[in-house]
Order: sequence, then structure tokens, then C-alpha cells
Amino acid sequence: MTAEVLGFWVMAVVLVGASLGVVLTPNLFHAVLYLAAALVATGGVFLLLQAAFLFGVQLLLYAGGVVTIVVFAIMLTERLVGQSIVQTSRHIVNGAVLAVAVFVGIAGFLVGGEPAAPRPPWSGDATVDIGRALVGPYAVPFELLGVLLVVALLGALYFARTED
Amino acid sequence: MRIGSPALALLVLALPFASFVLIALVRPLRRAGRAAGFVSIGCMAAALAASFAVWTRGMIVDGGHNPSRTWGWLPGDGGPMATVGVMVDGLSMMMLMLVTLVSLLVQLYSLDYLHDEPPPSLGRYYAYHSLFAFSMLGLVLSPGFLQMFMFWELVGLCSYLLIGFWYDKPSAARAAVKAFWITKLGDLGFVAGIVMLWVQTGTFDFFELFQMANSGAPAAAGFSVIMFLIYLGAVGKSAQFPLHVWLPDAMEGPTPVSALIHAATMVTAGVFMVTRAFPLFALVPDLLTLIAYVGAFTALLAATMACVESDIKRVLAYSTVSQLGFMMAAAGAGVPEASFRHLIAHGVFKALLFLGAGVVIHLVHTNDMWRMGGLFRRFPWVGAPFLIATLALAGVWPLPGFFTKEAILAGVLAEGLTVPFAMLALGAFLTAFYMARAVFLVFFGHPHAAAAHDDHGHPVPFLMDAVCRALAVLTVALGLSHALSAHHDAAPGWLPWFSLALAFGGIALAWAVYQRRAVDPARLSAALGPLDFMARRRYGLDALYAGVYRGLLLGFSRLVGWIDRYLVDGLLNVFSAWTLRAGDAARMVQTGQPQDYVYGVTVGVLVLMICAQWLWQ
Amino acid sequence: MPLRAYLLLAAVVFALGLYGVLTRRNGVGILLGIELMLNAVNINLVAFSRFHGDVAGMLFALFTIAITVAEVAVGLAIIIVIFRVRKTIEADHLDLLRG
Repeated sequence: MTAEVLGFWVMAVVLVGASLGVVLTPNLFHAVLYLAAALVATGGVFLLLQAAFLFGVQLLLYAGGVVTIVVFAIMLTERLVGQSIVQTSRHIVNGAVLAVAVFVGIAGFLVGGEPAAPRPPWSGDATVDIGRALVGPYAVPFELLGVLLVVALLGALYFARTED
Repeated sequence: MRIGSPALALLVLALPFASFVLIALVRPLRRAGRAAGFVSIGCMAAALAASFAVWTRGMIVDGGHNPSRTWGWLPGDGGPMATVGVMVDGLSMMMLMLVTLVSLLVQLYSLDYLHDEPPPSLGRYYAYHSLFAFSMLGLVLSPGFLQMFMFWELVGLCSYLLIGFWYDKPSAARAAVKAFWITKLGDLGFVAGIVMLWVQTGTFDFFELFQMANSGAPAAAGFSVIMFLIYLGAVGKSAQFPLHVWLPDAMEGPTPVSALIHAATMVTAGVFMVTRAFPLFALVPDLLTLIAYVGAFTALLAATMACVESDIKRVLAYSTVSQLGFMMAAAGAGVPEASFRHLIAHGVFKALLFLGAGVVIHLVHTNDMWRMGGLFRRFPWVGAPFLIATLALAGVWPLPGFFTKEAILAGVLAEGLTVPFAMLALGAFLTAFYMARAVFLVFFGHPHAAAAHDDHGHPVPFLMDAVCRALAVLTVALGLSHALSAHHDAAPGWLPWFSLALAFGGIALAWAVYQRRAVDPARLSAALGPLDFMARRRYGLDALYAGVYRGLLLGFSRLVGWIDRYLVDGLLNVFSAWTLRAGDAARMVQTGQPQDYVYGVTVGVLVLMICAQWLWQ
Repeated sequence: MPLRAYLLLAAVVFALGLYGVLTRRNGVGILLGIELMLNAVNINLVAFSRFHGDVAGMLFALFTIAITVAEVAVGLAIIIVIFRVRKTIEADHLDLLRG
């Protein structure tokens, strides 16, 4: 059992467990923490795939940024409501059946399809390649992404402003 | 065999066409009325002269010579599929003269007869007349079935237009439609027949067909059916039983039209066609026998109906049907020459009869013979031509009807067709009877009170009078020419006397009944009981046609109405109700809750997956 | 580990995220489910990229992450607005999509 296989199983267990926690725990705050764990585990998977740069982005943006925003939102609404929010679920059976069906559908494709070629050796540094691509062929989408982020944040600000 | 110049024949054809185009297109001329008449008459006079030139400059050639001059038409893979042109042989030259002559005289006569007509409608009248003359001339000159069929339909159109000339009169409009429908019934057979003939032989051309007939080529299976279908066209056009019912109704048109189209020319087109295509009909002896029987039966049936009519024009109309039956019977008996001679002679004296009847109607303002009487004393110059024509029709020596009718009887007898001979003989007797009856009722006897009141008011218009006299002279001349060139070789010696006896017997009976009043007409009709009853009701044929027509039409309309009301509307109602209900049901799907839409998306993705999985394999 | 293992892991996470989206009543909970699904997608993208030896997949993952951030920001803003207006963030009570 190589280090990669061991790492994969660890990450897989953590990721699936944390995901279950996200969707099942009644406490919204706990759910957010589980999400953070899941995001970090995802970053671990990225590391296993030799994408160190994405691991960093995942940690900074997701685990750092998104989770923080969500926590802020929860705190804000709880303060407005004046009580802690308890999550409830609806149509649990329906949701479970559909989710399992989708999983079975995807897994059916994966199992039924031909096995892919083994992982090719990776000589260079993915970070360097990403950096070259971002200022090379993908420069324009990259800039547009910046515009999108600015617009989205301004829009969020506009929505969430207090009316005075 | 005599043939004429194609160029001159084309000139004859072109003149009335030019007149028609001129009158139809030049509006001021048409609206001027009488001026249009003068144009038309001038063209007809020139056409008559040209017709005579065609005849006199004709050459005698041997039988194998092609009398047609044709040009290719309808280009096909292997040369033209059909030809147009003119066929100038003895038959068509005689018809040219008859058509142009009667047309000219009738157009002259119409100038006075339709004196009170408003100018625009008079212009329309002469446009139709020119078109008719063109169509009829084109028909008789046709070198092939296809061209003949086209002109055949054109004369049918003219007939329709002229019967319905007073189209604001409902009965005239109805009669026009009836004539059109019933002749079209026969034309269906005609067109089917000529197309089938073309499929079998590859040509419409008469001359080529005759050559094939001589070598016996087309007498293949199905040929008798083809010829029967073609004969159906003649049944419709020449008013043979059972399609004769339109002709008496066609009398709703102006009297000169009846004289030209429904006595002298158009209705004889069927007889002409059978005569023209006789070598083809001769290949099917059974069909000839049928033609003879139908013709003889028509002759007898129409004669009985003529005996009970009181409308003078309808008497003449039934008489026309009857005489057409004679002609057809002659053609069926294998003597188309006799048939054709009767056609020409009949064209002249029947036109005279109609035109004379027109004068009478003009004088007394009624069609009812019972309300006329004693006109001969007051208008001898009207009565004399009418009398001559009557004697000609009855078959009195030396007028043309005697010779031609005797030739027909001789031909039928020689063929051994005893039953048709008996029917024709009885028909000839009745012909003499009803014509004499008409003469006695109209011209002799006591002046009827209704007709007597304006004794001096009406001089006979000059042109009408002159035309009648001209036709009377022509009738006598035709009879004398027959008498001088008489050659009854095939006829048994007793036949002329028998024929004469029939004529005089009929006249004598009519004299006894209607002039001497020795026998009361009522008692005579009572003695004939059921026959009289049936004849007065036209043997129920008109009622039958009307019933069938109405029944079919109403039945079909009801069916369509039912389908529309219950099937179409019902279907639509069901669909709209379902749509409403389905919409109501589908509305419930839209809960407005975002997650329910996610359910929809998910289910959609699953369906796509299943489809993809399915396609993959 | 073969590519299939990574994809199966992503499929499990995706299904769990979908379950969360379908069943959570709370608007924030739904958003969390969406995050999980997007993460699954990212795992797929990176895995394909690595096994294909092409850096484009990683770039897409990068873009997805950035767009996700924007989406979360806007989504939370909307949730807060809804809460202000209707005093609830229970999705059951939000049926404004019905015309």
C-alpha cells in the first residue's frame, strides 16, 4: 500500500464523513464546520492529484473565505431572529431516493465504461503551468473572472445594505 | 372523295374568332349592341362565302389521300403527342356551309328579334354567337379526337351561356345549369374514351385511326368499351335517351339560340362525331346495334312527349330529340350517309321551324299553342314558311325530310333491325301528327281571344320575315335537289309509299282531331290513358333526375353537415376540454417552491442518464 | 489509485450535496449542499486534468472556485434580504416563483 493509496482512503473517509455531517446535522453552525472539514479534505485530494496550487486556493478561498462569510450570515440571522437556528429537513425519503438514483446513474457510467489509462508521470510543476496558462491563452477569461467577482460583491453589498 | 383547301378552311375558322375577340375586347363596340351585331354578321357572311369557296374549289382525290392538314402540338419524347389542324373533307365542308349559313341567318334574325334588348346585353349576345360559330366550325374541322373534344366543350360552354342569356330569370339559369350538368355526364365518358383510345393506339388523329381500322389493328380487347365511352359523349350532346332531358329545358334561351344551337348545329355534334368516327364504330357491331336501338327508342319516346306538349317551343324541342334519334338510328344501322343527309336537311328546316315559332311568339306574346289560332289568315307570309318546314319534317314529297327519312328507314330495314324500324315508323307517324297538330292549333281554327286583340299592332319585322322566307326557299331547293338526284337502290319499292302514308296518316289524324274536331282531344287522350298520363309527366325521367340530383346533393350536404357538427366540432371540443383539464392538472406542478423545481431538474437528469445509457449500448 | 476511484468519490459527494439541496429547509443549508456539489465537480475536473496530463482542467477548477465565491456572496445576500422581508429563511414558505 503506497502512500498515495493510504492518503486517498484517509481523505475519502474524511470527505464523505464530513459531507454526511453537512447534510445531516440539525445544527446549522455545526454543518458549516463540517463543510469546512469537507473543503479541507477536498484540498487534500487536490494534493494527492499533485495540484498544490489548487490546494492553496481551496484553503484560502473556500475554507477561509466562504466559510467565514457563511458564519457571518448565520450569526447575523441568528442575531436578527434572536434564537439559534435549528435545521429541519423535508421529504427526506424523496431526497434520499433521488440522490441515490443519481449516484447509481453516475456510478453505472463509471463502472460500465472502460478503465482509463493509468496516471501519466508528471515531470513539471503544475503551479508554473497554471501561472503560464493564466497569463497566456486564458488571460481574457481570467480578467473577466475578476470583473465577475467585483460585480458579484457589489451586488451582494447592494442587496444586503440596510435601508436608511 | 372531295377535299378542300386547308388555308380557306382556316379562314372560315378565323373569321368568327376575330369577331369574337373584337367584340369581347373592345368595350365600346360591345356596349353599342347593334354595332357588335353588324361586326358579327359581317364576319359570318364572309365565313359563309369562304365556306362556299372551300366547297367549290374542292378537288376530287382518291380515297387514300389524307384530307387533314395538321401541326404538331404537345411535344413529347417521340414527336408530338397530339396534333391540331383542319380536316377538310366532304363531311366537314357540308357542315361548314350548314353552320355558317344557319349562323348568319340566325344572327340576322336576332337583330330584329332582340330589338328591345339593352345594347350591352345585345353585344354580349353577339360575342357569344361569334364564339359559338368559331367553336362549332372548329369542331367540324377537327382532324382528331383531342381537338374535337376541346371544341366540343367550347360549344357546350356557349350553349350554357346562351341558354342562360337571360340569367336573371331563375328558370333560364336553372336550365343552363341542367344542360351543362347532363351533357357533362356524357362528356366524362367521351374524354375517358379518347384518352383510353390514345393509350391503346398512341394517336388522336382520325386519318391514322381510320388506317389502323382498315387493317383491323385497334380491334383489340377493350376497344368496344372505349367506343362505348366515346358514344356516351354523343348521347349527352345529341340528347339521346336517357340524357335527353336537358334539351327541352334549354328552350329557356332566346328562340334564335334554340334554332341555331339546340336544333340545327350543336346538338347534332354527337351525330356528326359518330358519323366522322364511323369507321371506328363499325369495328364494334354490337355497339352499332345498341346505337340503333337507343336512337329508335329516343325517336319514339320524344315523339310521344311532343304530342302532349302545349308549349310550341317544347314541341319543337322534343321533335329535335326525336329527329336526333332518327339520325343516331341511321348511324347505328350502318348508313351514316343517310344520317348525315338528314342532319343537314333537318338543320335547315328545323331552324326554319324555330325561327317561325319565334315570329309567332313575337306576334302573340305567348308560347301556349292553345292560346293561338287562326294566324294563317292574318299572316300568310309567316304561315307559309312554317307550313313548308312542317311538311318537310313530316316527310312529304318532294321536301327533303321525305327523302332523308326514307333513306334512314331503308337503311334500318336493310340491316334487319325490325324492332327499331317499327319504332322509327311509329315515330315518323307521330312526327307528322304532332307537327300537323301544332300547325292546326297555331295557324288555323278560331282566333283565340287573347291573340286577337291587337290585330294591327304588329307588323312582322323585316329581317325575321326575310330570314324565314330564305330558309323556306332553301328547304324547297334542298328537297328538289334530292328529288332530282334520287337514287333509292337499296330500298324496297313499297317503302316510299309507306313513308308517305305515315306522313299523311299523321296529318289526317291531326286534322280530324284538331281541325274538324271530329274526335275530341280529351277523349283521344282518355283512350290512350296511361300512355298519355306518362307522356305528360315526361315518363318521370325529369322527376327522376331531379330527385336523384337533389337526393345526392342533399344527402351529401347532410353528411358533410353531420361530420362538421359532430365529428369536427366534437373533436375540437374534446381537445379543448382536455387541454383545459390538463392545464389545470399541470398547474399543480408549479408549487413556487425552489426545491420542487430542483426535483424536476434531478428527474430530468435521471431521464437523460437512462437515455444515454440506453444509447450507449 | 485509478481515475475511477476519484470519480466515484466525487459522485458520492455530489449525491450527498444533492440530498442536502433537496431536503434542507433552511436557505443556508441549501447553499451548503450546493457547495458540496461544486466541490465534487472540482474533484472531477482536477482528476481528469491530472490523468490527462493537461493543465486546462485545473484552470477550470480554479475558475469554478472563484465563481463559487461570488455565488455564495450573492446567495447569502439574497437570503438576508428574504429574511428581512419575510422574517423567515425556510424554503417551504418561499413560493414566490408561482406566478
